[in-house]
Amino acid sequence: MKERIGVYICHCGGNISDYVDVEELGKMFHAEDGIVIAKDVMFACADSNQKAMVNDIKEHNLDAIVVASCSPKLHLHTFKNVATRGGLNPTNYVQVNIREQCSWPHSDKPREATVKAAGLIRAGINRVSHSESLDNIEISVKKTVLVVGAGVSGMKAALDLSKLGNEVYLIEKDYFVGGRIAQYEKLFMSGQKGKDIVAALYKEIKNQTNITLFTGATVDKVSGSLGNFHVDVKVKPRFINGKADKQAVKTAMEECRVFIHDDFNFGMAKRKAIYKNYPEALPDVPVVDAEALKNETDFVSKFSAALNLNEKEEILSLIVGSVLVSTGYDSYQPAEGEYGYKTIPNVITLPEFKRLMELSPDKLIYNDKQIKKVAFIYCVGNRQKKGDNKYCSRQCCTSTIYTSLQLKEKYRDITTFHLYRDIRTYGKQEILYDQSAKQGDIYLRYDEKEPPVVGLDGKTIIVKVKDYLTAKMEMEVEADMVVLVTGMVAREDSQQISEHFKIPIGSDKFFNEIHPKLKPVETVIKGVYIGGTCQGPKNISESVQSSLSAAAKISALLKSGTVSVDPIIARVDADVCTWCGKCANVCDYTAIKEVDADGKRIALVNKAICTGCGICAPVCPVNAIEIAQYTDMEIESMIDGFMDKTEVKEKDTTAVEVVETGGVRMKEYPQIWKQILQTMEGTKKSIPQVATEISADPNVVTYHMMTMNKYSVVMADGMDEKEEYFYYKIKNQ
Amino acid sequence: MARVNPEFATEISKSGAGDFKACFNCGTCTATCSLSTTENSFPREMIRYSTLGLEDEIKASLKPWLCYYCGECSTQCPRQANPGELMMSLRRWLTSKYDWTGLSGLMYKSLTLSLAAFILALVGVIAFAGSVGFELEKMVHFGHYFEMIAIGTVGFVILLPNIIRMWWFTIHKPKTKVPFVNYLKATGDLFVHMFTQKRALGCDDNQFRWFEHFILVLAYLSLLFTTVFLDWFAATNLFIIVLGYIESVIIAVVTVDFVSSRMKKDKAVSKNSQPSDWFFVIWLLLMGLTAFMVRLFIDLNLLETNKWLYLVHLTVLVQWALIIVPFGKWTHFLYRSFAMYLAKLKA
Repeated sequence: MKERIGVYICHCGGNISDYVDVEELGKMFHAEDGIVIAKDVMFACADSNQKAMVNDIKEHNLDAIVVASCSPKLHLHTFKNVATRGGLNPTNYVQVNIREQCSWPHSDKPREATVKAAGLIRAGINRVSHSESLDNIEISVKKTVLVVGAGVSGMKAALDLSKLGNEVYLIEKDYFVGGRIAQYEKLFMSGQKGKDIVAALYKEIKNQTNITLFTGATVDKVSGSLGNFHVDVKVKPRFINGKADKQAVKTAMEECRVFIHDDFNFGMAKRKAIYKNYPEALPDVPVVDAEALKNETDFVSKFSAALNLNEKEEILSLIVGSVLVSTGYDSYQPAEGEYGYKTIPNVITLPEFKRLMELSPDKLIYNDKQIKKVAFIYCVGNRQKKGDNKYCSRQCCTSTIYTSLQLKEKYRDITTFHLYRDIRTYGKQEILYDQSAKQGDIYLRYDEKEPPVVGLDGKTIIVKVKDYLTAKMEMEVEADMVVLVTGMVAREDSQQISEHFKIPIGSDKFFNEIHPKLKPVETVIKGVYIGGTCQGPKNISESVQSSLSAAAKISALLKSGTVSVDPIIARVDADVCTWCGKCANVCDYTAIKEVDADGKRIALVNKAICTGCGICAPVCPVNAIEIAQYTDMEIESMIDGFMDKTEVKEKDTTAVEVVETGGVRMKEYPQIWKQILQTMEGTKKSIPQVATEISADPNVVTYHMMTMNKYSVVMADGMDEKEEYFYYKIKNQ
Repeated sequence: MARVNPEFATEISKSGAGDFKACFNCGTCTATCSLSTTENSFPREMIRYSTLGLEDEIKASLKPWLCYYCGECSTQCPRQANPGELMMSLRRWLTSKYDWTGLSGLMYKSLTLSLAAFILALVGVIAFAGSVGFELEKMVHFGHYFEMIAIGTVGFVILLPNIIRMWWFTIHKPKTKVPFVNYLKATGDLFVHMFTQKRALGCDDNQFRWFEHFILVLAYLSLLFTTVFLDWFAATNLFIIVLGYIESVIIAVVTVDFVSSRMKKDKAVSKNSQPSDWFFVIWLLLMGLTAFMVRLFIDLNLLETNKWLYLVHLTVLVQWALIIVPFGKWTHFLYRSFAMYLAKLKA
């Protein structure tokens, strides 16, 4: 129990004291036991007052302080610092909010506001008197970062992290780096090729000595917490002899005659069983499809020096201080029959179409048909009012329009139809939209309620659409190919990744940050950050921006080698705990583990992981678990304090003149009301008359008299009860 | 169900339309147009039809004729899609669609063909002059008869069927029910618009443009009357002679202003000139000028020694009557007034 408490009650200029009788409250608490100082101050946050508080703490040897002022959102840290400067532990400070919770919302009932403020302050005093002195928890962290996903975001972040002096492990699920952008030719707005960007980044990464890259690698198991994550990474075999001569490997690739499905090109081409995604793919080591070469014993024995079909997958154990998840997205995969996908020939998705363009250097031919007319259907699998994917994928409009420009540039004689819902080529991308329209691309606007219908007329594809720009006229578009502009969706394996790192997933299935504006790359798991499109749809620039900001956040976090976290976490009373596991079951962060303590099984809280959310405390059947600073004792004492009957004495009235007019106590109302009431006394006067008599601005008088009228205090001449302020003003001007 | 026809954009651009495909359908043009109404809303709708290539809808529409091209839409267009010029191009395109002979369309699209027709007319005139031994009296006599015959033939063989086709496309084909009595009631509108073009007064730009055009039409029609029915070149009545002089001078003065305006490109309406526009204003100018000169030479007794002047006048006349009137821009005089008439029927 604290016995030398200081209580400061703030006027906040007049924000609080206009309605709450702070002087009276000061006097009231000053008389109470355990309180050394209780006073009202004009501005508690003012420098002069802060200094005075520091002096008070030292002079009167205070052991706890309470400030009753504004919201802790505004000044909690200000007064915690004051406590620290006075030599108190900041956990022995409690802030009570009597502005947002009393004076502002209850300005119409000043007496009740004062009573409520008294209750809240008493609750604060009770709480602080039970408060403990707690120190921040210091955690030592390893200056090593795991970056999951070597797409453009992951690669850029890895580079920055390494340049900022961190050891980086960069892991990529595929056998080659680059992610999605490697699949795309020219990228808006710069026109650079995706694979060129990948090659440049790869070269830079190879030049950094403190980045270790693993391809074919996935996260297998994660334990530990901020500063010391233990991550097991599973690395799939490439089935290439690592020590083999490069030329021999190349010859094996050239001579391989077994062809398999080409995932990289969405099956639009075949690839060899010893392959690279594309000739310039990096790292410059091919991958062997061991399954496909199983029966090719001659071939395998011929190249036995280069191939190693018995290679096994490896598990690497890494210890890292922090993790950046930049796992990217999947393209929405239309259901069979959605706009004729897979049921009508020549209906493909935009990513497939982009690969088709890359595979068709001179003429655009698909299914033996030369493509001259292409219809793009926008927003496929996105912006669904009824479906799961309610969001917009941000980049598809621009991507499609840029593709359309490329089409004309590459193949000349091509007509494109754009069946869209809204064109969102925000920012500089608008230029592309302008170019596209000017080159003759035809835009038709449909509504989600009446989506286009893709059908066949003989062998010709006909897309029927109600064009909202032509008075909803039913239009037919004849096309050689229909391209479904599919948006972004969360990766298929995002659930797994989320389970590994405990990153929360939103209703859109993407990973969730803590706050979209203020903590845009942080997750609720300390030390785990997200960057790029695993968080939600972004274009390349935006992806890189987010992963780089995560890199900067991580560097700042790990810089000093230790991290200090708030002491507000769960703690277990080892004597009471009997380990039933209920607390561990409800914990979202796996912060609670069963441990052995002197031969007894009890729960133990990992201080680095616990967020102090408090979900474990109520489920404990024996009440062995509590949250620091929110102990039962503190909370119950607060309730008691608030329920205490508070008699707020009538304000000492001798000092102020109170005239009872119309049953209104003047103290509670603005001065001008008194003047108005005195002028009106018993007579009917119009507002202009009153204004002249008290020589005040007629507009001000009008405003106040309308308010007085509203509360039935007084009624001016020529104004009836129902008329509104502005109406009165108009009528009498 | 209408089929999108991207080829139409190419076709219409041959009639002079510019960047109308840049349109993103904001509707500023329609909002800013002082002639557009709820019932007859344009130009956005016409741009949309053109982008999608909905020929039937365009053919059934009178809206291109309801625009008098002040150019405000093109000035306000946020995408420089030039809606005003598209409306102009649609008028050219519609002219070629109304023309049953198809020659209109060919000449709009091909400058070579137009020039060939003009040369053919020149050769014809010279051949005719040769056949009568370049005798002035015979030539003038023929010239006078030619005017009457040309008016009758062109009017009944070309223009009347074309007007009927216009009615067919805009009233009959869209199945607009019009009681017969309305056809009679609306004739007043037809003539009012034909002789006053008063709709142009509703345009946003200054009304001087309308005034110039108005007196030009009056001067042209009365000169036509003076030469054909009062036989100006043979007249002895001083009043008729002076009247003809005044009319031809007005025509020359106004058309000089029109030509210089097209050269300076100082107004929206004169910014984009197609060959058909040049032919129309220049030949009108030549008509006024040569007629004036011929009469002047007659009065000064110089024509006998300057037969070439009459030959020039006759050539201009023949080219005007056989090329520009039936297949060229002259037809807008009819289509504009009939559009007002037919619009009245539709209302």
